[in-house]
Amino acid sequence: MPGERPYTDSVVVTQTVRAVVPFVVTYGLFTMLHGTKSVGGGFQGGVVVASGVVTLAFAFGVTQTLAALAPGVLRAVAAGGLLLFAAVAAASLALGGAFLDAGTYARLPVTGAAVYAVELVEIGIGLTVASVISLAFFTLARAEP
Amino acid sequence: MTPDPSLLVALLLLLVLGAAVAVATARDVLVATVLFGAYSLGLAITWVVLRAPDVGLTEAAVGAGVTTSLFLVAVAKTAPPTGKVAFSLRWSPRALLVGAAVVVVLGASLPALPTVGDPTAPAFADGAAAGFYLADTARFGIDNVVTAVLVVYRGFDTFGEIAVVFAAGVAVLLVLDGEVA
Repeated sequence: MPGERPYTDSVVVTQTVRAVVPFVVTYGLFTMLHGTKSVGGGFQGGVVVASGVVTLAFAFGVTQTLAALAPGVLRAVAAGGLLLFAAVAAASLALGGAFLDAGTYARLPVTGAAVYAVELVEIGIGLTVASVISLAFFTLARAEP
Repeated sequence: MTPDPSLLVALLLLLVLGAAVAVATARDVLVATVLFGAYSLGLAITWVVLRAPDVGLTEAAVGAGVTTSLFLVAVAKTAPPTGKVAFSLRWSPRALLVGAAVVVVLGASLPALPTVGDPTAPAFADGAAAGFYLADTARFGIDNVVTAVLVVYRGFDTFGEIAVVFAAGVAVLLVLDGEVA
């Protein structure tokens, strides 16, 4: 752990993670978007995506994984998810409904408009959850003991 | 007719209970953290068997996955390995007292709960919210009532929850010098 052993790559671990993580992240997105059809939702999907990021950090090292993410990206995504939820909630006001009223979208002449609105909300939730968990993990991992 | 899952549930609860006792007796925090992951996984499977897959998915991802990794990082930062004794039954009397009190209070409230799937439970009574949710969700074209309840009927709650998650992220960055990402 800190200071005792330098970080070393294990080929078995890095290659396995390289193969598995794309599927984990895809499953996370599927879980977010599939919440309206079956089991899932933004919270669960976001956590699954975050677990993919955390797995990468365990395999390739925290510093190396962070270096692959542009600075500020996680913070921007965390705020962006919340704003996306707020935008969907406020847009129903603009359409003549109440704040956060999915019924407004159900009355639109577009098939499944309410489902799309709910899925946008789920994506917003997922973005915020995934980035906040990743941020918490990276911040803890990089903190001075 | 689906097979009776009660034997499976009993075995899973035994696993969960065993993992919980093992966590409580573990002297090494690292051992306790890994056992805690096993505890969460057992709970997650129990939820799925009891037909609450949404809760099961959350328990598996949050309890077994993310919490374990956050604990691992925290353990690596703080607690040195404690030596040779992996498990010990020496509990402090105060911890035992608090634990026993919680068990007694929760256990006393158990008989008041309806059995799993009881159709006469208050939640399914005429005029209760559950019936309305089940009937009204179809209007939105959403098949999963859990999602509909979370986003459509209780959207304000969920909006508040996600604001809390965001605030937690801000707090972590504020407390732990946020020059990370």
